Amino acid sequence: MTQEVKTRPLNRLKSMYALRAEVDKMYEAGGDAKAEGRPVAWVMLEGWANAILSAMDVISVYPENYSSLCAAAKLAGPFLERAESEGYPTHLCGYARTCVGYSARMVELNGQIPPEAPAGGMPKPTLLVSSGEVCDARFKWFQSLGRYFDAPVWTLESPSPTARDSLTPGTYERNVQFLTNELRQFVIFLEKLLGKKMDYSRLNFTGEGTNEINRLRWEINQLRKARPGPMHSRDFWSVMSAALYRGGADPTAIVEGHKKLYEEVKYRVDHGIAAINRPEKYRLAFEGLPPWHSLGFLDDLADRGWNFVCESAYSPRRPIEIDLSKISDPIEKYVRARYRSLADSIVDEFGAEEAPKVVEEVMQEGSARRLRLRHIREYQCDGVLLHVLLSCRAASSGLSLFSDQLLDVYKVPSLIIEGDIIDTSLFNPAEALRKAETFEETMDHYRKVRKDMGLEW
Amino acid sequence: MVVATKQGMARVDELYRERPQRVKELKSGGKKIVGYLCIYPVLEMMTALDLVPYRVVGDMREPITKADSYMPPVVCPFLRSCLDTGLKGKYDFLDGMVTSHICDVGSSLSGVWNYTVKTPYHYHIDTPHTVHETSLEQLRGLLGAFRKSLEEFTGNKLTDAMLKAAIALHNEQRALVRELYELKKPDPPLISGAETIKIIKAVQSLPTNEGNALLRSVIADVKARKNGPVKKSARLLVWGSILDDTALMEMIESLDANVVMDDTCVGSRPFFEDVKPTADPIDGLARHYLVDIKCPRTFRAWDFYATKKNYMEDLKARFSYLSDYARDWKANGVIVESVRYCDTHGYEVPGVRDYFKEVGLPSIYLEHDYTEGALAPLRTRVQGFLEIIG
Repeated sequence: MTQEVKTRPLNRLKSMYALRAEVDKMYEAGGDAKAEGRPVAWVMLEGWANAILSAMDVISVYPENYSSLCAAAKLAGPFLERAESEGYPTHLCGYARTCVGYSARMVELNGQIPPEAPAGGMPKPTLLVSSGEVCDARFKWFQSLGRYFDAPVWTLESPSPTARDSLTPGTYERNVQFLTNELRQFVIFLEKLLGKKMDYSRLNFTGEGTNEINRLRWEINQLRKARPGPMHSRDFWSVMSAALYRGGADPTAIVEGHKKLYEEVKYRVDHGIAAINRPEKYRLAFEGLPPWHSLGFLDDLADRGWNFVCESAYSPRRPIEIDLSKISDPIEKYVRARYRSLADSIVDEFGAEEAPKVVEEVMQEGSARRLRLRHIREYQCDGVLLHVLLSCRAASSGLSLFSDQLLDVYKVPSLIIEGDIIDTSLFNPAEALRKAETFEETMDHYRKVRKDMGLEW
Repeated sequence: MVVATKQGMARVDELYRERPQRVKELKSGGKKIVGYLCIYPVLEMMTALDLVPYRVVGDMREPITKADSYMPPVVCPFLRSCLDTGLKGKYDFLDGMVTSHICDVGSSLSGVWNYTVKTPYHYHIDTPHTVHETSLEQLRGLLGAFRKSLEEFTGNKLTDAMLKAAIALHNEQRALVRELYELKKPDPPLISGAETIKIIKAVQSLPTNEGNALLRSVIADVKARKNGPVKKSARLLVWGSILDDTALMEMIESLDANVVMDDTCVGSRPFFEDVKPTADPIDGLARHYLVDIKCPRTFRAWDFYATKKNYMEDLKARFSYLSDYARDWKANGVIVESVRYCDTHGYEVPGVRDYFKEVGLPSIYLEHDYTEGALAPLRTRVQGFLEIIG
């Protein structure tokens, strides 16, 4: 009798591995810079600081990524415990608490990298660049690191208007001015800290490299709409770190890596090759931040024929050509290259004919529901996994409403799995798998409902 | 039925039990009632247009049921409770709701409230996070937009003169609250921490001029009372996130402690600085609401352009007003409290406790989940703390 060898559930992309490995270079670069006496910044992931820091020869290291790396390597636990013993409430962001625990250990070791730290660790920062974008943790966390480091903290403000406010005349221009003025002050601060003037000729304000990376990521994501889905969310998360954390420092390598990735995904689409080694029974979207400590759980779901074809976080922007020729101020040029108005984004996404209806809906309802739900229809998802995180209210607080609206508009059900980005003790994979099994009946039911409604999937 | 003749603490008790009674009367008389969340919506702009600002709070004693459909349990239970009470129709009398970017969940709640509770007028002010000059300029622009929105809502022009008059009225209220807090300086204090919450909540249920009249009658009442709080060994300062119910204070004050001062938002936080007079009143308002109100949701620093961080100088710049409070109200211990899942206060806890340690004030951290049941184990901890500082 022959023994059947079961293949691994996930069909990982080969070109993913090289891109994933790029992130290690960030930590190597940070370590080298520190050893050579060059400045190193701990930076929050956002769209603004990286190019400015690069232009001033400051190496950026991203504690958010480092914490997820610790979680994936199952090494975050001691840092979390240390943060708790330092007096930080346990519901705070897992990224933050991992970093706090790491920082407290560095102080214990007189500023040296803890020997237990994976990937060579993060060197002691020269400065901390926090952000008013996305969530409260991203400026409160770095503020609290003053207990451990005498590195100055700069918080880069960013506006967070509601959808309705974004469409109100005057909002976009006011926000462009705000961002421009904020970045000018950031440059003044850096010049004082580093004792040298900013050379604007070095500021990659049009973002040629990073725009090309974004374009490639966007095009790869369009390929992922194919049936069967050619690229799983796990591969998306593995490669996105290279784009987001290394794209500013070394765009050439990342562009080349993404070209290879594009080619491989295109090949799969042309040959009907799926991202899972099982028949694609269900197509799912992942909403929220991934469980970095237990990504293997998604392999268990893949074994059941669940193919995660899209996700809500870290998505690339639709690439747009913007005419910046009339703008002379380099900082303003930099802002306008990156900050798109919602009105323009709605036209980009829905076209000139449908856009006014979407705008009207936003002004009346106050929310951009159609924008928010669009990817579920585009990727023809049968279900959505909502990852409700104990330590992240920014990612979790809108998920219940999203689920409600999704069922109302597109008759696509959601499965809530509670867990965390970093802390494994908050996630019960066995229970999650049990819930997944019964959720399949729900997805089957709503397939019929959608068919009866005349929806295309 | 409203008994309009009650004054002082009797009126406070009545309003604490049945908060909306007066605004419902006013609404039936044609006034527009606008709810607001937290202390960052600019009340003067509403008062100036003859709107009645009404503070939206939760209900610690009401189990959260309806809000579960729209907000997961891992978010601030106070804000979930606010949504829950809204979904249960308890704020159906509101003509409008104004929110601001107080925290992640507050901003999320704003959108959920707009979508589900559907108060007729809804506005959200995207208050910046730092006290940079650029942020002040941004807030000035945002308040300009809010002004236009209110004018459209009411059909009336909001002039600088109207705004200045409203600022004066609200400053009068701030001064009256500070006068009330002076009555907590004697030993024993003439009013308890629990009573203070009731008074502030009652005031925030009334139009500003009526709130001022109530404060005057309360102050007169309290000065004349013979049956105030009993003298206790510990005089405590309470710092932290929202306390809109008396339960925690009552628990603390049932032990050997008087709560003589607080830095919380149904407490001193909105009242201890006046809006400064400026030629353009929007300037004074922007500075007040972004800089003067000292809530952890705002990033403050000793010196934004410093090239090295001095931790203690930074803590002093952020918290020295607390040691002033402790000195002036003769507090000998601090309760640092936060509702569970409050991130802005949660990150502040180690730093504020470092500060208290530096200035020689013992402190204890209490985390609670906005239910009465959560208080019993905290009682034991507070008892232990009082024994240490005694």
